[in-house]
Amino acid sequence: MAKDYAKATAVAGRPAAPSALRQFSVLLRKDLTQEFRTKEMLVSMVVYAVLVIIVLGVALSFAKPSQEYLEVCGGLLWVLIVFTSLLGLNKSFSREKENGCLEGLLLAPVDRGAIFLAKAVSNLIFILLVEVLAVPLFWFFFASFATPAETAWLSVVPLLVGSVGIAGVGTLLSTITVNTRGKDVMLALLFVPVVFPLLYACVSATTATLLGGEVFAATWTVSLVLAAGYDVIMILAAWVLYDFVVTA
Amino acid sequence: MAKEKKPPVLPEAGQWPDKVAPVALVAGAVLTTIGFLLTFLWVPPVVGASVNGAALIGDSMVTQQLLLSQKIFYFHMPVALVSFIALVFAAYYGIRFLATRNARFDACSKVAMEISLLFIIMTMITGEMWTRFEWGVWWTWEPRLTTYLILMLIVIAYFILRNAVDEPERCSVYAAVVSIVALIDVPICFMITRLIPSSVHPVVLREGGMTADMGICLAVVLVGMLAVGFALYRARFGQVRLGQRVEALKDALEEN
Repeated sequence: MAKDYAKATAVAGRPAAPSALRQFSVLLRKDLTQEFRTKEMLVSMVVYAVLVIIVLGVALSFAKPSQEYLEVCGGLLWVLIVFTSLLGLNKSFSREKENGCLEGLLLAPVDRGAIFLAKAVSNLIFILLVEVLAVPLFWFFFASFATPAETAWLSVVPLLVGSVGIAGVGTLLSTITVNTRGKDVMLALLFVPVVFPLLYACVSATTATLLGGEVFAATWTVSLVLAAGYDVIMILAAWVLYDFVVTA
Repeated sequence: MAKEKKPPVLPEAGQWPDKVAPVALVAGAVLTTIGFLLTFLWVPPVVGASVNGAALIGDSMVTQQLLLSQKIFYFHMPVALVSFIALVFAAYYGIRFLATRNARFDACSKVAMEISLLFIIMTMITGEMWTRFEWGVWWTWEPRLTTYLILMLIVIAYFILRNAVDEPERCSVYAAVVSIVALIDVPICFMITRLIPSSVHPVVLREGGMTADMGICLAVVLVGMLAVGFALYRARFGQVRLGQRVEALKDALEEN
């Protein structure tokens, strides 16, 4: 699609449209600048993460803290990440909508794939930034009294793989839901079932790193490979389908 | 007299499959009834055990209740298969809609999704009966159960999404995209829940294939259910398209 625009502009005697990579970096820089100036999304995500941690704390307040907490911690961590990123994904597109930015983007000779990638990468960066703050906090509140296995540091890998998938699928779905009535609920309705397989694999991998030993040997590789497979397939699908969604 | 206007293009409904549909409905009803009779009167319980008393199957003692509860399998499995086939059709018509932007394919996709939801609900109900008697619990996070729960949630979300978008064209595009995402997501969901070994629940699998009698009975019910699904699809499709035709006629009248 970008090629047609490039050709059209070249015929009109104007310089050709910039390359896809350049478009991508400009769009990404736009998102980052906008966010770091207002800090609206990051602040609300971090505060929300703290609130989820408090709710989880209440939920666990009558369970005896013990080594067995480790079996639950991996799952709870992903509860935190899913809810926090849902909030961020909701915000990421409503801003484009409010300022009429999306129309401007679609009028400009910009490759739709570049829009998708820029939006997904900026969402990924925000999710990772929030995780950098929220995961140690989570650890401080829930797991500091239990000694995890030596492999615990490896849980960075499922966190990364999971965030990539969440950002990719979430970008497609939030583009859909930004134009619907009751968009916040709608995104959750679509996002949670679609991302379920990834969540399952990531919880399995995270728990494996925390428990170590036999569980680690049995589930670590297969969980990670499956999570990465989900990422590849779903992001490719989202990339292909994005053109239809964003121009609809 | 005013010069004759070109008649507006109206949505069409009746094609040749509509003539086949009533026959398919009758055939489906007859076949599923025959299948129902076959399961109880003709097909023997698993591995030739008698229903009067207990039998040793594999390594476990199986009682009369379990042997009879196995009969639900002949309905559960065909219904589940039909629901997935309907989902495949929904995604196929979704792709065709995105390629052609023809509202007809959108109606096809939507109706196929409705049929899928109907059969998914039937799958869940029969599956619950099976789970309760075979495994002794109402719910377990077993791969097939989990996959179908997720599938049901996505399909429900699909209809909520359709209701939440005001512009018809946009609604159709979003619906088509979600139907394609659903079709991609569901097999991945099954693979992931199946392949990751769970430390809490063992994967429940009983060894032992089907005998020829069981296969025949299953095939009869499957063909019957497919015919019923097809007939329902055509009936609902006709209804949806006629509704669209009425709307188009109203618009045409208002314009004149």
